[in-house]
This record gives sequence, C-alpha cells and structure tokens, in this order.
Amino acid sequence: MAIRSFQTKFLILVIAGLVLLQAGTLVSVHYAGQRTLHRSVDQELRVGARVLERVLETRARQLEDSLRVLALDFAFREAIASADAPTITSVLANHGSRIGADAVVLIGLDGTVTAETANDGLIGKPFPFAALLRTAEDRGEASATVSFRGRPAQVVVVPVLAPRTIAWVCARFEIGERVLTDVKQLTALDVSIWSQPDGAQAEVISTLPSEDRTDLLAKLRGGGAPDMLHLHSGLYMSQLQPLRTGDGSKIESLLQRSVEEARKPFDTLELQIFGLSFIMLLLSVIVAIFFARGVTRPLRTLADAAGQIERGDYSTPVRVTQSDEIGHLGIALNQMRAAIAAREDQIIHQATHDSLTGLPNRTLFFDRLSQSIGESRRSRSAVGMIMMDVDRFKEINDTLGHHFGDQLLIEIGRRLEQTLRQTDTVARLGGDEFAIKFTAPNATFAEEVAQRVSTAFDSPFNLGDVSVDVNSSMGIALFPDHADDADTLMKRADIAMYDAKKNHSGIAIYEAGRDEHSLRRLALMMELRQAIARDELELHFQPKIDVPSEHVAHVEALVRWKHAKHGVMRPDEFIPLAEQSGKIGMITKWVLRKAITQCAQWQRNGVDLAVAVNLSALDLLDAELPTLISGLLAETGLPPSRVVLEITESAIMKDAAHALKVLRDLKKRGVSLAIDDFGTGYSSLAHLKRLPVDELKIDKSFVQNLTESAADDLVIVRSTIELGHNMGLIVIAEGVETQESWAILKRLGCDMAQGYYMSAPLPAEKFAEWFATSPWGSVDKMQNGSPVSLAPQSGERSQG
Amino acid sequence: MRPLVLSLLLAVPLSAGTIDVRVQDAHGAAVKDAVVYAVPEGRALPLAKRTAVMDQKNRMFIPHVLVIQTGTSVRFPNSDDIRHHVYSFSPAKPFQLPLYKGTPASPVLFDKPGVVTLGCNIHDQMNAFIIVVDTPYFDRTGGDGHVALRDIEPGRYVVHVWYPDMRDEPRPGNVTISGSERADLSFVIHAHGHP
Repeated sequence: MAIRSFQTKFLILVIAGLVLLQAGTLVSVHYAGQRTLHRSVDQELRVGARVLERVLETRARQLEDSLRVLALDFAFREAIASADAPTITSVLANHGSRIGADAVVLIGLDGTVTAETANDGLIGKPFPFAALLRTAEDRGEASATVSFRGRPAQVVVVPVLAPRTIAWVCARFEIGERVLTDVKQLTALDVSIWSQPDGAQAEVISTLPSEDRTDLLAKLRGGGAPDMLHLHSGLYMSQLQPLRTGDGSKIESLLQRSVEEARKPFDTLELQIFGLSFIMLLLSVIVAIFFARGVTRPLRTLADAAGQIERGDYSTPVRVTQSDEIGHLGIALNQMRAAIAAREDQIIHQATHDSLTGLPNRTLFFDRLSQSIGESRRSRSAVGMIMMDVDRFKEINDTLGHHFGDQLLIEIGRRLEQTLRQTDTVARLGGDEFAIKFTAPNATFAEEVAQRVSTAFDSPFNLGDVSVDVNSSMGIALFPDHADDADTLMKRADIAMYDAKKNHSGIAIYEAGRDEHSLRRLALMMELRQAIARDELELHFQPKIDVPSEHVAHVEALVRWKHAKHGVMRPDEFIPLAEQSGKIGMITKWVLRKAITQCAQWQRNGVDLAVAVNLSALDLLDAELPTLISGLLAETGLPPSRVVLEITESAIMKDAAHALKVLRDLKKRGVSLAIDDFGTGYSSLAHLKRLPVDELKIDKSFVQNLTESAADDLVIVRSTIELGHNMGLIVIAEGVETQESWAILKRLGCDMAQGYYMSAPLPAEKFAEWFATSPWGSVDKMQNGSPVSLAPQSGERSQG
Repeated sequence: MRPLVLSLLLAVPLSAGTIDVRVQDAHGAAVKDAVVYAVPEGRALPLAKRTAVMDQKNRMFIPHVLVIQTGTSVRFPNSDDIRHHVYSFSPAKPFQLPLYKGTPASPVLFDKPGVVTLGCNIHDQMNAFIIVVDTPYFDRTGGDGHVALRDIEPGRYVVHVWYPDMRDEPRPGNVTISGSERADLSFVIHAHGHP
C-alpha cells in the first residue's frame, strides 16, 4: 500500500527515527547493564570470598577468646585438676556448651587426648590436629578450619593454665548454616561449603534453598562448578574458592549470586527507561502530529482550492493567512484561478458563439434547446424552433464578395434578434443557416413567430453602397408535436425548411412522416454501396421501335435494383440517391459494361441493335468516362455507332461548358448522343444548337396522355418533332402506352417510339423471347434459324 | 636462701662429703638457677619444722622458685595493696587462699614432696614454684651452671635436677658418699624454647 499522506509519511519518519534511537538506547543500556551486572557480580563474588574468609577468621578469634576465657575459669581449672575423668568430661561439656562448641576435648601435655565430650573415640589417641598444638604452644592459642569426619569445622586450642600449662583444651565448632547466613546477610550472596575427603560424597552446607542444594550436589558430582550454574530456582553466577585449612584437608566454598536477583535493579532501570522512552515517543508523536498538521492543513486547503478549480468552481479564492512559501503558493493559486476563470470564459464564449455574428453557435443552441425541452417536459408547455437559411446566399456571396456576405450575415443576425423576445434564442449554425428557439403554445403561434421573423427580410439590406433584397426559407418544428428531443427537433425543422425552399413558400411546418421517408432514403444510400457487390443490380432492356418500319431498332438499358426488402426498385427511386451519395459513377460504369457486353453478344448472334445508356449530370464531370467507353468498345468489338448515350436536359445545363466539352469528346469517339426528357428544362434553342447531339427524346409527360383531343400536348409534340427534324436530329417519343398515341406519332412523323404499348423493359432473356415472338421483332428474324437473331441492316435502317 | 644453706653447712661435721653438680643445656651452655637436690636412699630424714615465706609484691610471687624440705610451712604474705587469690592445683599440695590482704593467719604446710605450681586466680600472669623435697641437701646452680652440695653425710643418694622450663626431668644421678670425698655429676636439661 502506497502511503500517500504527507502527514502519515512525516509521522512514520518521526516514529521510526525515535523507535530506532530508543531501541538502540535500550539495547545499549541492556548490554551495558549486562556487562556491569557481570562485572559487579564478579566483584561481589570476590569480595564475598574475602568476607567469608574474614568471617571465619573473626569467628576463630572470637572462639579462641571465648575458649581462653573458659579455660581460665577457676572452677573449670579446678575440675580439670581434679583428675576425675567423669568430672573432667562433664566440665568440658558444660563449659563447652557455654560457648556453643559442638565438641570439646582435653589433651594432655604429651599430645594424647585424655577426655572428650562427643563420642568420637579419640581418648588415648594422639590429638588429630597436632600442628595446632605446636602453634598453641608458641602463641598460647591456635585455631584452624579443618575437615572433621567430612564436615567443615573450626577448631580452637588453648592451654589449661594452673597457672602453668597443665593440659590443652580443644573446642570444635562446625561451620553450619548460621555462619553462612551471616555471610549472606553481609554480602547478599548465597554461600555453600563442603569438604571433599577423598572418595567421600560431599555434604553441602549452604544458604541455598533445598531444591537448589540438591541441584548443586548433582552438578558437583557431575564434576566441578562452572561460573554459571543453572539451579532449580534460576541462574547463578558462582565463584569457587578453596578455604585455607589447618589440617591439609580440602574445603571448598562456593559463592553464588542469583542472576535474576542481581538483575532486578537493572530490570527496573530498563523498565523505567522503557517507560520514559514510551512517554517520549508519545510526546514526540503528539508534537509531530501538531507540526505535520501545521504543514499539511494549509497544504490541504490549497489542494482543496486546486480541486475546486479543477471542478470549474472559480468563485471562492483561497484565504491566505501565512506569509511563508505556502502563503505565496496560495496567492499564486488565486492568480492562477482568476486567469483560468478569465481564459475559460473566453474559451467557453468562443466555443459557444459564432465568431462572425457573436450569436450563439450550434453547440450552445443545442444546449439551450435541450434545456428548454427539459423544462417544457416538466411544465407541459411547448418549444418551437425555426431553421432558416438565406435564399441565393451563394449567389450573393459569389457576386458581391465574401466580405459583403459576412456583413450581410451580421446584419441578418442583428435583425433577427430584434424581432424576438428576450427569452428566445437566435443562433447561427454555420454558413447562411440560422436557428431560432422560442416557447410556443401551438403551431399557429409558431407560424406567427415565423411570420414576425420573416419581417426581418422585409426591407432591403443596405450595406455600404449596395442595397440587396434577401429572402429566407424557414422550417418550423415543435416540441412535443413533432419531436421528443432536441436532436430530432432540429432535423425535422431542417426537413421543413427544405420543404419551404422546394415549395418557394418561405415558411413550412414539419409534416409528420416526412422524416421516415428521409430515413429510408438514408438507409438505401447505405445499402446502395453493396448493391453491386451483392449482384443486386439487373439490367432491363426496353425496345425503341423504328416508326416507319414498325420494327425494333434500339434498346434502352434500364437498371433495376432487386432490393432484399423493398423488392425491385426503379431507377427514379434510387438513382437520385446514387447521385447524392456519389455512387452514380459506379452504377453508370456497371450499366455501360453490362449494356455494351450484351449488345456485343447480340451482334455476335447476328442481332444488330443499338443500345442506349442514361448518363447522369455527375457522369459528365467524370473526365475518365470517354476513355472508359472507348475501352469497353475496343474490348467487346462493338462499333461505336451501336451505342447511344442519353443525357437529360438539366444535366447538361448544370455545367454547360464542361458538359459541352465532354459531349464533344464522346461524339469524337463515334458514339451517338441523345437529349433525354426534352421539354422539361429551360435550355435555349441557341444552346441546343451548339450541342453535338444526334437524337431528341420528348419527355414522356407529353406523350403519355397524347390523344387527338389533347391540344396542348399535341402542339408540343408536333412542334418538338418539327424542331428536331429542322435541326437534323432524330426525334424519339417515350411513354407510348396506347395505340392512339402510336398512331398520332406515326402521323406526325416521329422517328422512333418507346413505351408499354410496344413492350415494358425486359431482362435480357425475356427480351430475346419478345424479340423472337413479337410482331415488333425483326422481319428477318427467322433468317438464320435463331429466334433471337435479327437482320443486321435493321439498325442502320433505324438510323436513317 | 644463701644464709640458710650456709647455716646448714656449719652444722655438719667436717668429715662430710660434697656432691658437685654441673647443669648445662643441650648446647652445652651453663644453666643458672637450676634446682639440684640429693635425696638419701633407704632412710628417711626427719621432717623440717621450719617456716618459709612466699611474698607477693608488685603482682609477682617472690621468690619465683622456692625450695623447701618436706614439712616446711610457708607463709604467703600479701605486700600489695590489692587482693590476691593464691592457689595450687599441684597434686603435691593443692590449696587456695581466697582473696585476702596482709598475711593469712596460718601458714600452709607442705608435707609431701613435689613441685607445687602457684598461681593467682585474678592475676593470670602471676606464677611461682615451690619445690618440696625430702632432703635438706638442695641448692641452685650459679651463673656457671655449677653447684656443690656440701656436708653430706655418708650414704647413698639420688640426685635430682629441676628447672622451671625443662621439658622432662633428666634422669636422676645415683651417688654414694662414704667420707669426705667429692662426687661429680653432670645433667643436661632440655628446656622449652631450647629444643
């Protein structure tokens, strides 16, 4: 786990430092204590050994003195002098008990024991400690530590004076626990002594508790006594010290100090130090916490302030109370806060407003619209929006310059704002597109708003020295009538605006269902991309009948889309989509390849027909098209004269100069050109004259209802035929559906006719069937026994 | 003592003999003040009815060694102004004179031969010897370790030597006196302190 808080880090640092320091102190105190303990116990033991010696010596002196005094007792001497053995024995016992002797013996001047109080069997034998007698002779008294029957004892010898020495009296004092207890009281050491006559098991006299004594005995039997002894009640430091003896026997003393007891003061000291350390640590931690708080609280305040700025709250400045670095940081943070707030305001304004007009942009408009819709949803009121664009703005821009266009947009924005209430929003969405949001109780009110808005365009715009009249198209959509959310509402207002533009009505309200149509178009556009790859396109052929011969001369290739969901779709349903989505080139190329290949196939089968393919206005912009067609012709071997390219009048008019260039190029390559849907456009005759076309196709709207009684259509068709013939063009009528119209066309001298009266567009195989069986088929169709073959010269005849 | 000895010598006939005794220590040095006495063998001499004095002066017995013939009474005058408690545990004559001042009423009769060690019960350092002998022939060696017992009647004698610090009594010497002859004897004493 990462430690994140400075305070925690600081505390850990302080505590760790202190703990280390104090642990070090404790450890060194402990070891110093241990060393001191060992030294002092060692010292104690050495002193103790000397004390033991001194105590024994002192005791010996005291015993000597006591015995000497005793021996000088007159009655004692009288009794000794009595030479009566029982008397002597009893006086020895009596007086011996006065001084606490364990045994008293009387020794004659010849060194032989003459009387004894204990039943030691010494009478008549030489006194066992003869050396003492000699010392006593010299010094008048003698004492020594000896081992008597395996027990350490002090013996004292003094003469019996009468007044000259008449005998020696010797008293034996065993060294018992009392003596050792005295030593223990003086030294606080446990003392043990034992004599070790060879082969005898030592009896230990000791101040130790009995369990320890048993342990010690076991250790001694195990051999020797080390410096450290583990006895029953704990660890002892020990010192072995042989005692000086007067009889050459070996008496050992062992001084011991319980380590546990010796350590007690050290333990207490350590405990105190530990306690102090703990208190110190506690105090330090408290101080450290206060210090860390002192540092971290202002830092935290700054961090909180920075967090506020991060959340976009620039309203509360940091309170700067310190004049140190943190204070400077606080001031810097405040300055930064102000600067960020200013910049963010600017950025937000730029992000939400149109830089040219200063009006809200699409983003802000969308936000406000969403907000209003939200509010309306709660208050069950209505929100309306108008999508508006300036008619012919591109033209104005192109004609009068971009600067003028910009000024015009600014002025329009200004006027729009003036027509509206404070609560409404005018936004420039881009280009010449404006949007207005307003609250509206119903559609009528919305239209009134739109009417009021349109008054902005009532007076001409005077910009500099130019004055222009400007019109607008407005689409209205309402929440909740037309949409549930801002996005949909904007789309529907847009659709309504296009309706207004199309109808030249200026204002249109969205009609339910319009949008679904748009959606289907959009879906089809997407699907069109895959139509070729999925092989969903199919080519149908509709014959064009050479009117004089009443036999088929040309076929028009018409594409069909066998859509999985919508069934077979006619070109007028999807070709505009293809044009909008830029897929038209692809489709045209596919049609050209299919049609030319099929036509070449028929040629090889002896059926000589020309094939007509429709070109879109966009196809004319494709500079590659002529090359592609030449390539296909070369590939299939079809003569160029067998290909007719049909171009609508409006397609040519879109970019007349370029169209003319492409048409000339195509014409040079030997293909025929036809003007399709003639009569619906506005092409001037002069213009028409310059076009390198070979055929005119009268629009079917004039032909479909052609009867002898339909005077208008009759006049148009007749004039067109005449016009075409006058210009040297072949005239074709399409949409021939009745025998009557066929008859009229034949009467008027129309060159070719096409329509359901003769045949609907058919797939290639069906067309072959029709060709073989229909009276419109080739007259020489049985010539080579093939049902699909046709006289090779029939096409040439139609051309003529 | 010297005057007493002299008077004894005057009382004996001229034909009496002399026993000449030399006492020396283990190193051959002359021993002064050794008591020498000759006890007649086979016959008892009449007890002396004499009196001797063992004075106590300055917390000392004076003399230190008193030789007397058996039957002699000894007075123990106290010349100090403090009391003394004179005693003896010696088998020859155990007695005690409990704390007293001046001269006790009756002297102490020494009727058995032997060495009597005297002490004072309250002054441990005081001691003295009374040598009780069954003969009038006794004397002490002079500075040359030599003594002559004179005017001794004919007869057989056992000659003894005693010295306060001697370890063991030397073997007594046997001497026979028949006339006025002179007998020579020599003793070696092993004294304490002279091993």
